[in-house]
Amino acid sequence: MKKQLLSALSAILLAGTMFGAASAAEVKSIAILTPEEGTDYGWNQQGVDAAKAAAKAAGVEVVVAQGLGYGDVRPTLRELAEEGASLLIAHASGYNTAAPEIAKELNVPVAIVDTPSALSKGLIADYTLSGHEGAYLAGRLAAKMSRSKTVGIVVSGEPPSWNSQSSAFAKGVKEENGDVKVIYAVIGPAAYSDAAGGKRVTESVIAAGADIIFGQGNGSSFGMLQAVETTKAADGGKVLFIDVIGDKSPIDKGFLLSSVVWNIEPVYAAMIADLKADTFGTKSYAIGLKDDSVKLLKTPQIPDDVWGDVQKIREDIISGKIKVEPVFEATAVRALMSDVKE
Amino acid sequence: MSDLFSELFLGALLFGAMTAAVPLLLAGLGEQISEKAGVLNIGIEGMMIFGAYTGFVGAYYSGSLWFGFLTGALGGAVVASIMVLLCVRIGLNQIVIGIGLTLGFDGLTALLHHFQFSRTYPRLAAAEITAIPLLSDIPVIGPAFFRHHLLVYLAVLLVGVMVYVYRRTQLGLNLQAAGDKPAALDVAGVDVVRTRTVAVLSTGVLAGLGGAYLADVGAGIFVPFITNGAGFLGIVLAMLARGRPLWVLLGALVFGLCLSLTTALQVAGINIPTDVIQMIPFLAVMAMLVIFGRRSQLPAALGIPYVRGAR
Repeated sequence: MKKQLLSALSAILLAGTMFGAASAAEVKSIAILTPEEGTDYGWNQQGVDAAKAAAKAAGVEVVVAQGLGYGDVRPTLRELAEEGASLLIAHASGYNTAAPEIAKELNVPVAIVDTPSALSKGLIADYTLSGHEGAYLAGRLAAKMSRSKTVGIVVSGEPPSWNSQSSAFAKGVKEENGDVKVIYAVIGPAAYSDAAGGKRVTESVIAAGADIIFGQGNGSSFGMLQAVETTKAADGGKVLFIDVIGDKSPIDKGFLLSSVVWNIEPVYAAMIADLKADTFGTKSYAIGLKDDSVKLLKTPQIPDDVWGDVQKIREDIISGKIKVEPVFEATAVRALMSDVKE
Repeated sequence: MSDLFSELFLGALLFGAMTAAVPLLLAGLGEQISEKAGVLNIGIEGMMIFGAYTGFVGAYYSGSLWFGFLTGALGGAVVASIMVLLCVRIGLNQIVIGIGLTLGFDGLTALLHHFQFSRTYPRLAAAEITAIPLLSDIPVIGPAFFRHHLLVYLAVLLVGVMVYVYRRTQLGLNLQAAGDKPAALDVAGVDVVRTRTVAVLSTGVLAGLGGAYLADVGAGIFVPFITNGAGFLGIVLAMLARGRPLWVLLGALVFGLCLSLTTALQVAGINIPTDVIQMIPFLAVMAMLVIFGRRSQLPAALGIPYVRGAR
C-alpha cells in the first residue's frame, strides 16, 4: 500500500512537473525586430523598452534585433525563429509582408502592426496602436498655446497609427479654437529616416505661419526638431514642438512643448498571456488614456493653468463625456485636413 | 490660401528646393565621372552615407562646417577606394560590390551612431549664410537662391568646371576614352586602370561631400539611413543626363523644386492623394531628361572591367 501511495505521489509530482514545464515551454523567449536603433526616443525605443519590460514581467527571455532598416528582414526573422523564439514582434509597418510569410513558413507566432485584417489564430496578431486620445489633447494644448493661431502637422509617412493621431490632433485644435489654422504636410512616402526632409518641410510649414509643430517621424523627427530650434516664428518668437510616442526631454533644448507618449508594455504583456492561453491572434490590442498607456508629457513650456485645463479634458475623455474616434484611412485624414486648414 | 503663400513662405519653399538639390547635384556629378570612365558606381549611396557620418563627426567635434565637409569628402573617398580595389583593380562585378558597399556602410554608420550619438542626438547650429550682394535683395528669388552656404555656390560652379574638363582637357578625353574604348586609351599610352581609379575616387569625394552637406546643412544632425536613397537618385540623374553636367544640375533643381511643390500643394490643403503629389519630382525629372537628354549615349564599356589584351 505504502509502495502504491509513493508511486501515485511520484506520478502526481512528475505530471505536475511535466505540466509546468509544458506551460513554461509555450513562451520561452520573445524577439523584437526594429528598423532603427532602440534609442530614438520614439517608436523604436518604446517598442524595445516595452518588449524588455513585458518579457521580464513574464519571466521569459527577450532578443532585440534593432537597426534592421526598412528592407527585407526575412533572413533575420528566419534566424530568430530557428533559434526558438516563441513570438516575433515585427515592429515596423514595412515588415508586414515578410513577417506573416515567415509565420506560415515556420509556424511561429508573429505580431505585426497596422494590419488588423491579418489576424490568424495562433499565428498572426496585429497591434495597430493609436494614441489618438493623447493627440486630441495635444491639439487642444496647441490651440491654447499658439500665438500665430496657426499650427502645423508634419509627418514622415501615412501609416494608420499616425493618421489617427493627425486627425485627432486637428480635431482637438478646432474644438479648442475654430479660428486656428491647421497646416498638414507629409515629407515623403515612408520618409521615416529622412531628417533633412523633416527639416526642410518643417521650415516651410513654419514659414507659412505655424508656431507649433506636431511632428510624427522616426529619425526624421530629429530634423523637425532641428528646424524648430533654428527657425524663428513669423513674429520672431520661439517655435515649439510636440512629439509623439517617446519622450525627447533628455535631449531637449527648450523647444519641446509636449509629447503623446505611448507605453506598449501592456500590449506585449497581453500578447504573451494570449500565447499562453491559446488566444493569440484572435483580438486587437489598444492603448489609451485610461490606463496611462497613452499620456501627454508635461514640460516646463506648459503653464500650470493650461495644463490644468488639459487635465480636465483628459478626465472628460476617460469618463466618455468627450469621444475621440480614430481615423485610420489616409484619404479621410486628407479630406479632414482640407476642411480644417482655414 | 493666398495669405499662406506669403513672400516668406515662397522664399522658404524655394530655399528648401535648393537645399534638397545640392546633395543630388554633387552625387550626380560624382556618378557622372565614374560612368564616363566606364565604372557603374552603384556604391555611391554607401559613399554618401559614410560621407554624411564622417562629415557630421568632423563638423560636430571641430565646430567647423568646412572641416566637416573635408572629413565628409575623405569618408566618401575611403569607400570609393574599396570600390577601386575590388572593381577597378581586381575587376569584380561592379553592381554586386556597389550594393555590398551601400548595405555595409548603411549598417556600419548605424552601428557607429548607436555607440556615439544614440543617447544624445547632438545637433549642429544653423549653417552660416553667404548673401550675394544685390541679388539676395530680390523679393522671393533673392532669399531662395542667393542666401545660402558658400558650398552651394561652389557646387553650382563645379558644373561649369566639369563642362570645361570634359570638353577642353586631356583628362576629360581620357575619362571619355576609358568609358568608350579603354583599349584605345591603353594603346595611346594612358593607363586605363589609373584613369578609372582617379574617376572613382573623385566620385567618392563628391558623394561624400554631398552626404556631408546633407547631414551638416540639410539636416543639422546625423541619423542612421539619413541619405534615404539620395545616392540612387544621383545615379538616376547621371544616367539620364548621359555625360552632360548641366543636365545633372537641371535635373537636381527640378527634383528639388518639385519636392517643394509637393509641400506647397499639401500646405494649400489640396485634397489629392499624397502619393500622387509625391510622384511629381520623379516624373518631372524623368520627363525632362527623357525629352531633352535622349540623344546622348552611355559609354560603351560602362560596367565592364578592363583587362589588358582581353577580347
